[in-house]
Amino acid sequence: MQFNEVRVFFTKTGMAKYISHLDLMRCMTRALRRAQIPLWYTEGFNPHLFMTFARPLPLGVESLCESVDIRLVGEMTFREIKTRLNDALPRDITVISVAKPVHKPTEIAFAEYEIRLFSDDPAALMKAVEARFAAETLPVQKKAKQGKRRVEKEVDIKPNILAFESSLQADSVTLSVRVTAGDQNNVSPALLLEALTLNCSGVVKHTDILKRRVLLQNGKTFC
Amino acid sequence: MRKEWEYLLDGVQKPARYTGGELGSIIKDKSAVKLRYAFCFPDSYEIGMSHLGMKILYGLVNERPDAWCERVFAPWVDMEEKMRAHGVPLYALESGDPISEFDLIGFTLQYELSYTNVLNMLDLGGVPLRSRDRTALTPLVIGGGPCVCNPEPLADFFDIFLPGEGEEVTNELIDLLIAHKEKGSTKLEFLREAARIEGVYVPAFYDVTYHADGTLEAVTPTETAPAKVKKRVIADLDSVYYPKQFVVPFVDVVHDRAVAEVFRGCIRGCRFCQAGFIYRPIREKSSDTVNRQAKTLCESTGYDEVSLCSLSTSDYSEVEDLIPKLLSWAPDEKINVSLPSLRVDNFSESLMEELKKVRKSGLTFAPEAGTQRLRDAINKNVTEEVVLGTAAQAFRGGWTSVKLYFMMGLPTETLEDVAGIAELAQKVVNEFYHNPDKPKGKGVTVSVSVASFVPKPFTPFQWEPQDTMEQLAEKQKYLMENVHTGKIRVSWHQPHTSFLEGVFARGDRKLCDVLEEAWKRGCKFDGWDEFFRFDAWMLAFETCGVDPAFYTNRRRDFSELLPWEHLDYGIRRAFLEEENRKAHESVTSPNCRQKCSACGAARLNGGHCDAIQ
Repeated sequence: MQFNEVRVFFTKTGMAKYISHLDLMRCMTRALRRAQIPLWYTEGFNPHLFMTFARPLPLGVESLCESVDIRLVGEMTFREIKTRLNDALPRDITVISVAKPVHKPTEIAFAEYEIRLFSDDPAALMKAVEARFAAETLPVQKKAKQGKRRVEKEVDIKPNILAFESSLQADSVTLSVRVTAGDQNNVSPALLLEALTLNCSGVVKHTDILKRRVLLQNGKTFC
Repeated sequence: MRKEWEYLLDGVQKPARYTGGELGSIIKDKSAVKLRYAFCFPDSYEIGMSHLGMKILYGLVNERPDAWCERVFAPWVDMEEKMRAHGVPLYALESGDPISEFDLIGFTLQYELSYTNVLNMLDLGGVPLRSRDRTALTPLVIGGGPCVCNPEPLADFFDIFLPGEGEEVTNELIDLLIAHKEKGSTKLEFLREAARIEGVYVPAFYDVTYHADGTLEAVTPTETAPAKVKKRVIADLDSVYYPKQFVVPFVDVVHDRAVAEVFRGCIRGCRFCQAGFIYRPIREKSSDTVNRQAKTLCESTGYDEVSLCSLSTSDYSEVEDLIPKLLSWAPDEKINVSLPSLRVDNFSESLMEELKKVRKSGLTFAPEAGTQRLRDAINKNVTEEVVLGTAAQAFRGGWTSVKLYFMMGLPTETLEDVAGIAELAQKVVNEFYHNPDKPKGKGVTVSVSVASFVPKPFTPFQWEPQDTMEQLAEKQKYLMENVHTGKIRVSWHQPHTSFLEGVFARGDRKLCDVLEEAWKRGCKFDGWDEFFRFDAWMLAFETCGVDPAFYTNRRRDFSELLPWEHLDYGIRRAFLEEENRKAHESVTSPNCRQKCSACGAARLNGGHCDAIQ
């Protein structure tokens, strides 16, 4: 069967951050079906819609840079796909563009996050953040697999943090970070906060995390 | 706009249950509507979002520009703990507003073991539990659903019950409440008018007195209340409202698919089955209506599965027309058609062929009892030959697992009937090995699920004693002694939960205090084994001086006034008594298409029943 691979870029913000990756897959499948986009289904006993997300987004993280690849069987303009899909998606998930894929998802090397830590005493928090980041190493327990076994191993994620800025607001401290991403040495925002011991307890009341961009090894935007 | 409490969702299980914002959920401007309706399902989101009645009434109310209906579910324990710790009241999913701000708080009462959740949700919403403590006109707490056929154990907590079908009476009640809000009426003034609407039961307008032995003496109407409240019945299912859109959940819920309702009522008259009596008379939709509604829903939701809903789909008179209609478009759209509630005795070869075109799911038979004598007594007109014949047919069709549903503790049951369950399961196993073309290297699994029988109001068994927990435990032991192969897997219901279900199913108003006491002792989610606290319940009965065995294990005389007899479900008492007598003689009754038994239900529908052509 002939098909055209198409990449759909979308944002997942607001309350949609509480939709898990598994639930998002189901939600996207139904939206694609409602939108009546001519799509390629896998062949076999239980045909299902072909759909590949570039990277799963952790629960509780908002994002401006998600993408999913679908396969078109039939003619439909990118503009039409975008309009139809936005009509079929729930609020807080919005298609920003549709395009022919340029890079492979495996080429993704970095991600940029904005992490806002709310606190009653942001000035003290700011100091603590800077002190912790100044350490030479940032060791953290990371869940990993050895063959089929699940193990925890200690890794130093300091080398995985490519950029780190912090700024002070009246009610919070905002971190802007660039960290490694991908199948091999992914640093999730949760892992980063754990390494900086900034989990939601004690001085940090709650946290907003926004994924801003995904980048290739050469620093260009994944598209 | 981000509310402070939204951060509570960080770290709770499946937070998407609490966010709202699903496709198909309706957002309105609250300042532009005259009435707000919080539709509450007293169980978890996953259960509640599977419920068709809520989808119908949600769509129906939201069709009105002057009203806004929102959904409310019982938060799971981790979320409730956080809400209580942070002083966050129970809120509706669409607006995020506390339920105390609503005009109508409507609970659907689907099973007795959800009653503590009703109290817990009211409390979590900051709404006083008892009707008399809610002195303002709104919020009004109202209830509908099958348990409303005996709502007496909840009578003190609700302002209004709506027996029967809700599509018409909901709108009538909303119209009336809007008018009274505008007039500035008191709650009493409103209830007086509401009680004049057919199908509106105001429990506070009935005085209940008891004999010295605890049985009912009289239920006396006061104010504007009628002596008997007739349940509401929708006459024409082809023209009644049916939603064109469902709210499509993010999380995986129990029944996550499009649903097309096929007919209401049941022609079978199985004597244990409450649904088979309280939803009478039979009213069918035309196959064109069902087909159109199924297609519309698939298009609007994006679901890849549509299920037909009724009490017994193969009894639908147009089933042979409907299936080809559905299969003319569904497979092209990669949509799976599922047909639950098929009966074994009319599972035709041609229907089986059609079913093969859709995805193969499990096969389930419900012989309900182990011997022909007991099946006759409960009027489950299924013979062993039919069960075995259908099983053989299914095995030839490639199935390797079969589920059999039984009940234990049925009236007139003996140990011989119990052993019969194991024998029938064994015969089904044997049938598999008699099949010459059985798949190589594959065994058979016969899953036997044994529920404990609970006598229910408005059935011929409403007078029967329920087996005690000890009797049930003994019968379970005896059944296991008669199972001789690992190919038969047996599962039970907890006798404790069935006992409690039995108390509340046929309970009276004396149970209101017990319910509140049990809730205060921490009982909630009683339908969930991991939360059910039998000891706390027993202490609650003791504290209130109520003997639960009075409700469950006692044979009621035909002369006794039953707590639900001021509700009129159409079914004549004399008919139920006659069916009860026939049960004790193991005499069956024909199904409603073969011969009308004059049960009386058609009286509430202008004398019309689709089983009588």
